[in-house]
Amino acid sequence: MLWVDKYRPKTLAQVIVHEDIAQNLKKLVNEQDCPHLLFYGPSGSGKKTLIMALLRQIFGPSAEKVKVENRNWKIDAGSRTIDLELTTLTSTNHVELSPGDAGFQDRYIVQEIIKELAKDRPLDTKGKKGFKVLVLNEVDKLSREAQHSLRRTMEKYSAYCRLILCCNSSSKVTEAIRSRCLNIRVNAPSEEQIVKVLEFIGKKEGLQLPSGFAARIAEKSNRNLRRAILSFETCRVQQYPFTSNQAIPPMDWEEYISEIATDIMKEQSPKRLFQVRGKVYELLVNCIPPEIVLKRLLYELLKKLDAELKHEVCHWAAYYEHRMRLGQKAIFHIEAFVAKFMSIYKAFLIATFG
Amino acid sequence: MGKRDAIVLSSSDDDDYQPFPRSKRSYEKPKSKSSVTRTNPGRAKKPRIPNSRLAKQSSNVDEMRLAFRDFDEVLNGFKVSAGSRKSNAKELWVDKHKPCSLEELAVNKKKVEEVKSWLEERLRTPKGEIGGSSVLIISGPAGVGKSATVHVIASKLRAQLCEWNTPTPTIWQEHVHNSSAGMNYTSKLDEFENFVERVRKYGLIFSSFDGNSKSSIILVIDDLPVTNGRLAFERLQRCLVLLVRSTRVPTAILITDYGNEDSSDLTARWMEELQLSLESAGASKVAFNPITNNSIKKTLSRICKQELCNVAAEEIDLIAKASGGDIRHAITSLQLFCLKPNTELYLSSSNSTPSYPRENVDELNTSSGGFSSQYGRDETLTLFHALGKFLHNKRETENLVALDQNAFRVGEKFSRLPFKMDSPEKILCQAHGQSRPITDFLHENVLDFLSDEAMDDAWTVASYLGDADLLLATFRRNLTRHSETENVLQSAAASVAVRGVLYGNFHPSPSRWHAIRKPKLWQIEHSLSHNQNEMLRERFTADVGWTRLSEVSVIATEYRPVLKWVGYRRTGDVETQESEDDSLQRMSLDEESEICEEDDDDIEDW
Repeated sequence: MLWVDKYRPKTLAQVIVHEDIAQNLKKLVNEQDCPHLLFYGPSGSGKKTLIMALLRQIFGPSAEKVKVENRNWKIDAGSRTIDLELTTLTSTNHVELSPGDAGFQDRYIVQEIIKELAKDRPLDTKGKKGFKVLVLNEVDKLSREAQHSLRRTMEKYSAYCRLILCCNSSSKVTEAIRSRCLNIRVNAPSEEQIVKVLEFIGKKEGLQLPSGFAARIAEKSNRNLRRAILSFETCRVQQYPFTSNQAIPPMDWEEYISEIATDIMKEQSPKRLFQVRGKVYELLVNCIPPEIVLKRLLYELLKKLDAELKHEVCHWAAYYEHRMRLGQKAIFHIEAFVAKFMSIYKAFLIATFG
Repeated sequence: MGKRDAIVLSSSDDDDYQPFPRSKRSYEKPKSKSSVTRTNPGRAKKPRIPNSRLAKQSSNVDEMRLAFRDFDEVLNGFKVSAGSRKSNAKELWVDKHKPCSLEELAVNKKKVEEVKSWLEERLRTPKGEIGGSSVLIISGPAGVGKSATVHVIASKLRAQLCEWNTPTPTIWQEHVHNSSAGMNYTSKLDEFENFVERVRKYGLIFSSFDGNSKSSIILVIDDLPVTNGRLAFERLQRCLVLLVRSTRVPTAILITDYGNEDSSDLTARWMEELQLSLESAGASKVAFNPITNNSIKKTLSRICKQELCNVAAEEIDLIAKASGGDIRHAITSLQLFCLKPNTELYLSSSNSTPSYPRENVDELNTSSGGFSSQYGRDETLTLFHALGKFLHNKRETENLVALDQNAFRVGEKFSRLPFKMDSPEKILCQAHGQSRPITDFLHENVLDFLSDEAMDDAWTVASYLGDADLLLATFRRNLTRHSETENVLQSAAASVAVRGVLYGNFHPSPSRWHAIRKPKLWQIEHSLSHNQNEMLRERFTADVGWTRLSEVSVIATEYRPVLKWVGYRRTGDVETQESEDDSLQRMSLDEESEICEEDDDDIEDW
């Protein structure tokens, strides 16, 4: 098991990073009234961990006994039936799924699954906790229609089930849903917090941590705890005992992007643009999200760029990132950015060096 | 069900005409054939009484429209008409001037000879003695005389033709009417299957009512049933392959090529597939090419002579050129052209030339001088050609058009020389370009055509392609149910893409040979979705510990690279070993990471 999973806090009491949130959640649940929840925050800040711990707090250890189900859903959508295959994680008391996996048919799945949940409502002897919890991941990736239908079903079935929504950016969740949920912002952990976690893991694993090493990992991780722990483990595999100036291996795709950036800086021509396209394809095909590619590419380019140009380049990167989200095929827009950059940079070179 | 009354056939009588000359063979029923005496061409036939519908409906024979073409009759009729009457305006020249001898066929002599010798051979030798199948596929574009060739050869060989013609489709009202009358609906494909089945098993048993048992029979399948959907197509294919394997009757299957340019069109691809599978089952194949200009011209002038029309040679030439090798089209065009001076005739015949849009005819009447395009078929371009035009971006060397005083002036930087081609939208139209593939193709290939120095151009082009992508995406996201909106968006996107490429490519690279590649993007998208699914599936099986749903992006950007380093395998026992002996684990990890890398190589290879 990876360390990220091994040292994931199982209960709210064990949580190190967002202790305050954990305490609040605990209080909330103890009062027996759990509203719909919306967790949002950057990737690797601990949203899922909090959710899992919360479920355990509500339902006890049974919440951890999950089974993976690959279910086929037959959904009657008026004139036709839609067959969808979706993986869900279920325990007796909760269901977790990523409706975004269903693509543009997500709205059907959301409705259907909630109806299903409402149908077999678990009943306690005392009649309490008579609800199931539905955990929806990546709510911000849901289409607008799906979010609307989610809103309706949320109200209709609120007696039977609670929703826990999880997303990166709450700005992509409609106002209607946000106002129906208790919003919980999960910040990215600060570097000190990450260091604390790393030291905790190091102690548990019985590792000698040279001073400053954990801080370096934390700094490299971009305040992403998951990432920090993963690269910590990578370092452990690469070299142990640690030295304080040990190289922290970058992710392979990041290296690849910095290679692309070097290529771009070296030559600016349509031919080079074509080569860059090939490399970007390589990244995309390995499921690296285009937004991340563009962001990272900008980051790498900025490192090598004259300060004079930085503003303009950032502007164009933002412009094309926006268009990329509106558009359909990311490569068109990434390529347009690269072309624009090359054209700016070339003009700059000619102006400076003649 | 789709049955029409049989039609009175006129043989030699001048005053009679055939309102549906083309369709008569289709609607004749085999039962009624005995009433036609082929050896007696001079005699006018009795009208055939349509079989009473109810009585016949149950039997499949009714559905199966096998009919003989009576060549002698038609031939006689033509001869008479050619001599004695001026012009029967109600008749299409295409039918009137059907080729009646091998010499009159405009088709390439070699091809005709090929078909003829094949048929002769099959007919001469007793059944089943020649090796190979007795099926011949004749393929070619529309209007190159596939059917005519078979008919003429058959009449020459004194063989009877027995044709399958797809029955007229049942329209919905008819179906409702029929089913309320208690009749079952059989699909046309079912009918065809039944027919083929019968032919395979029993051969064609026509000698019984023909009397002339010596005459041999050729089966012609002119019109394959329309198949809708893969399933139906596979049925058709199976049934035809069976036919090829087992039939004993010499059979000619005529397949119209729709040209390969529309590779997005499923039917065309299926037809190709069908041909291949039939060939592999043993059928012989003769491919007809479009008819040459000269043959068309010869035929046209022959017709002109017979019709006593004066048509200048260059006009014939024009018609021939415009027809694009389609002789049927050329003849119809000629007929239309000859109508021109005589409005009365034109009016009376307008209903017999329904294939002509009215405005075309009007245009012909009003514009006396320029008849360059009236009889042209709309020129079609292959996608390849269209792309070539866009990418090569041929322009005039200088701007010859004098600028209007009032014209909107664009800055020096933005003005471009005029095109050396039609407007891009027209080309798109001719190529039947769908905007998405066009955009993708342009995106894939355009960089090759830019000069090496022209970075700004590259940006302009890339940005316009991005615009096109945005337009296309808007269409998809909103899922516009209105096809109008959709069409406008689509064509706007295509236009933006094409014009962007044309405009942006200000400094084209010196023209040289470029291969036009298929967009790599398609392949990428394909394998991307494959990878994604793979990842989604693996997230449970790969690691025992993952008891949650991670996003694909997180897996790809964070877990996967680390897993590669750490070398975890999906085996469960890694977990138990973990905190044990270090060196031992290191070793096993090394091995595993090797395996890992191999796996990765696979992934990179796509």
